[in-house]
Amino acid sequence: MKHKTTTAITLIAVSALMALAGCGGSSGSGSGGSTASSGTPVKGGDLVIARTADSQSMNNTTVFDNESIWVFEQIFQTLYTVTPNGKGVQPELATSYKVSADKKTYTFTLRSGVKFSTGQPMTSADVKFSLDQSRAAAKGWGYIDTAIKSVAAPTPSTVVVNLKYPWAPLLADLSLFSNGIVPANYGGKTETQFYNAPVGTGPFKWDYWHKGSALKLVANPNYWVKGEPYLNSVTWTDVPSDNTRELQLKGGQAQIDEFPAWSTVSSLKTTPNVTMNLFNSTRTDYLAFNETSKPFQDVHVRRAISLAINRAALVKAVLFGNGKPANSVFPPQVPYYQAATQGLQYNLAEAKAEMAKSSVPKGFSTTILVSSGFSDDLTIATVLQSELKPLGINLKIQQLDPNTANTNQQNLKYDMTLTYWTMDIPDPDELATFAVDPNSGARSFFTAYDNPTVVKDTHDAEQTLATSARQDLYNTIQSDAAADAFMAFLYYSPYAYATTSNVHGFYVTPLGNYHLENVWMSK
Amino acid sequence: MGRTGFVVQRLLLLVPVAVGVTIIVFFMVHLIPGDPAATILGIHATPKAIALLHKQWGLNRPLVSQYWLFIDRLFHGNLGQSLYYGGPVSSLIWSHLPPTLWLLAYAVVLTVLISVPLAVLAASKRDGVRDHVVRAVPLVGLGMPQFWLGFLLIYGFAISLRIFPVSGYGAGFTGHLQSMFLPGLTVAFALTPVVIRSLRASMINVLQAEYIVTARSKGVPPHRLFLRHVLRNAVIPAVTVLAINIGFLIGATVIIEQVFAIPGIGQLMIDSIFQRDFPVVQGVTLVFGVMVVLVNLLADLAYAALDPRVRFDR
Repeated sequence: MKHKTTTAITLIAVSALMALAGCGGSSGSGSGGSTASSGTPVKGGDLVIARTADSQSMNNTTVFDNESIWVFEQIFQTLYTVTPNGKGVQPELATSYKVSADKKTYTFTLRSGVKFSTGQPMTSADVKFSLDQSRAAAKGWGYIDTAIKSVAAPTPSTVVVNLKYPWAPLLADLSLFSNGIVPANYGGKTETQFYNAPVGTGPFKWDYWHKGSALKLVANPNYWVKGEPYLNSVTWTDVPSDNTRELQLKGGQAQIDEFPAWSTVSSLKTTPNVTMNLFNSTRTDYLAFNETSKPFQDVHVRRAISLAINRAALVKAVLFGNGKPANSVFPPQVPYYQAATQGLQYNLAEAKAEMAKSSVPKGFSTTILVSSGFSDDLTIATVLQSELKPLGINLKIQQLDPNTANTNQQNLKYDMTLTYWTMDIPDPDELATFAVDPNSGARSFFTAYDNPTVVKDTHDAEQTLATSARQDLYNTIQSDAAADAFMAFLYYSPYAYATTSNVHGFYVTPLGNYHLENVWMSK
Repeated sequence: MGRTGFVVQRLLLLVPVAVGVTIIVFFMVHLIPGDPAATILGIHATPKAIALLHKQWGLNRPLVSQYWLFIDRLFHGNLGQSLYYGGPVSSLIWSHLPPTLWLLAYAVVLTVLISVPLAVLAASKRDGVRDHVVRAVPLVGLGMPQFWLGFLLIYGFAISLRIFPVSGYGAGFTGHLQSMFLPGLTVAFALTPVVIRSLRASMINVLQAEYIVTARSKGVPPHRLFLRHVLRNAVIPAVTVLAINIGFLIGATVIIEQVFAIPGIGQLMIDSIFQRDFPVVQGVTLVFGVMVVLVNLLADLAYAALDPRVRFDR
C-alpha cells in the first residue's frame, strides 16, 4: 500500500490550527483553549515572555532542556510537524511522501519557495545534511533516528530516507526538533559558530542572547507563509522567581508568564487584563520505585503503595484541582493511550491485602528522595507520608539539592523518588522505550524495572505498522506496566501560562511546543 | 611607605587570597554530590551519554590534575569554558558584572544619602526625641527579610504608583538609573541602620573632643562645625563599618537579584551551582573574593583621603 498526503492536508491542518487559535473565545481560561482571538490579527508588537530559566544552547541535535527547545522551534522547522492536538503529524517543509512496498524507503517532496532567513532557498542538500548531523549526535537525539540507514537527495526537491527495517514512528521522529532543517555545511560556518547565531526557515530569526538574562528573536522577512509572523520580535527574559514573573505580567513588563505557581492560578483567573490559560499537556508525574533497593523488587509492595495513594487528593493538594488522576504510564494526549486501563487506583483495603501477601507484611521503613526548592514535590512527599502509614510504612523524606537528587536517582541511589515525563514526539515509542526497557535509554526511568514480555511488546510495536495491531500491543503494555506497578502513576497536569489579555492566538500543544507565528497583540 | 607602595602591596596580597579561594572553592564544589551531566541530560541520561560528556569536559581525570589544569589556565588569564553554556567563563562573568556593580554602587550612594543626614540629626541632640526616632525606625529595615521588603517596594512603587519598572536591569544609563532604584533602596534599607548607629556614636564622641570646644569658642558656625570638623573626623569608623558590610552584601545581592530579576553575578552563581557548572562557580567565587579585597582597599584609601594623619605604615 502506498501512502500519499497532499498539500490539501496542509491547508486543512493550517485552517484547523487557526480555528483552534480562535476557539479560546470569550473565556480563554478553559483547559486546552488558546488565548482569546477576537478580531483580525494586526501586525507589530514586541512580545516578552518571562520564563523560569535560561536556555542552554541552540544546538537542536544535542540539547534536552525545554527552555532551549521552545526558542529554536521558532527558527528551525521540520519536514513534518505535530498537529495542534499533539496526536499526529502534518506537512511542514515537505508537502507529501511516498513509501515503498517493503515499507523501507520513504520519498519526500519538499515544499517549493521555502527560503532560509538569509534569503537562500532550501533544497534537499540542506535536508540531507541536517538529518545526517542529527543522526550522528551520539550525546544527543541521535537515538531517535536509529532506524534510518541513509538519506539521499536525488533532486533538489526530493529527499529519500532509507530505513534498516519498517519503522512505525518515522514521521513522528522526523517531526522532532532535532531533525530541524539547517543550511548545508552550516552555511560555511563551523558548528559552534552556527549555533551561536542559528539560521533556519522558521518565522523568526536570530537577534541576540545575553546569557542568564534575555534572548531575542525578530521576525523573519523571508518566511514562506505570507503575512506571518505578526509580531516584530519575541524576547524571552529569565525570571526565576514566581512572584516576580507575576508582578512583571501585572506591571505590563511581560506579556506571558510561563508557569505561574499552582496556588496563584485561581486568583490570576480573576485578575483584570490577565488571561489564565491551562493547555492540555502530556506531562505525567510518577512515583518511582528503585527495584534494586529492598523491598521494592517485591511486586506486592509496589502494588500496595500504588493502591494506597489517593490521587484525587493529590491533585487537590498539589495542583489546586488543576489536573487529573493518572491511570496509565501514557498520558491521554498520546496516541494509543488506553482510557480503559484502570491502573491501580485508591483502595486501602486492597492495599492492605497486597501488603499482607508481600515479603514485609508488617511494614518497613524507607525514604523518599525529593529535590529541595520544589514545593510541589515536598507536598506530594508529605501527603504520601501520611497515606502510607496505615500500611505500616514509615516514610522519611530525604531532601537534596536538585542536582544531587538527580544524580542519585540516575545512579539508583534512592528508595522512592518523584519523576515526570513530557512527550517529545506524537508517538508513544520514545516514552515506552525509556520507561520500560532497562537496556535502552535510561534504565526504565531509573527504576531497573525489567519485564521481558513488556520489553518485547515495546519493540514489536515499533515495527508494527497496522494501527489496530499496534493499539493491541500498547494496550497490553499499559495494563502490564500498571499491574507490575513499577511506578505509581500519580497525575496528569496542564501547561499553565498566564498572558496579558492583549495577546491573541497563543496556543501550546500537548507536547509543549508553541507556534509564535500565530500570535498577535492588539493595541 | 607611600600610597603607591601600599596599593601595590595590597594588590600583590590579592594573589595568595585568590589562590586560597580557588583551592577552597574547587574542592568544596567537587565535594558536593551531583553531576553537571545529570542537569544537562535529565531523564535522557544514558550511561553512554554521561560518559561522553565527562570525557569532553575532562571530568574523568583525577581531581588534582583537574585543579592543576584550572590554575594553569588561570595564570594564563583563562577561566575555562562553561559546562552548561559551552562558552568562555570570562565573557559570562563580564556580562553579569555590570548589573551587580550598579546595584552595589547605587546601594552605597543611597545609604550615604539616607544615613548621613539622619545621623547628624540624631547626634545633634543626644537622647532627644529625634535621636530615639532615628535610632529606632531604621532598625525595621534591618529586621525585615530583604526579599519581602523588595516585593513590598515593587507593589507600592511599580504596580500601584507605576513610578519604577517592576524589575530587570533596564537599558542605557537612565534605564539602569530607573530600574536599579528599588533594588538599590532595598539593599540600602538593610545598610542604613548599621551606618547610622556607628556614625552617630562617633559623632557624639567627636562632639566632646577638645578641638570642637575650641572651634565653638572661636565662633565657628554650627553647620560648618558639623561638616568640616565633626563629620569628617567621625566618618572613619562608619567607612569601616560600611566596607565590612559591603563584603557581606556582595553575598546578599544574590537574593535581591533573584527578586528583581537582575542578571548579575549573584544570579549567575546560583544558576551555576544548581547546574554544577564547576568552572563558572569557581570563576564567580574568585570575582567575589577579589571584590571583597578591593572594597577593603578602597576603604583604607578613603581613610587617608579623609584624615591626613593616617599613614600607610602597616
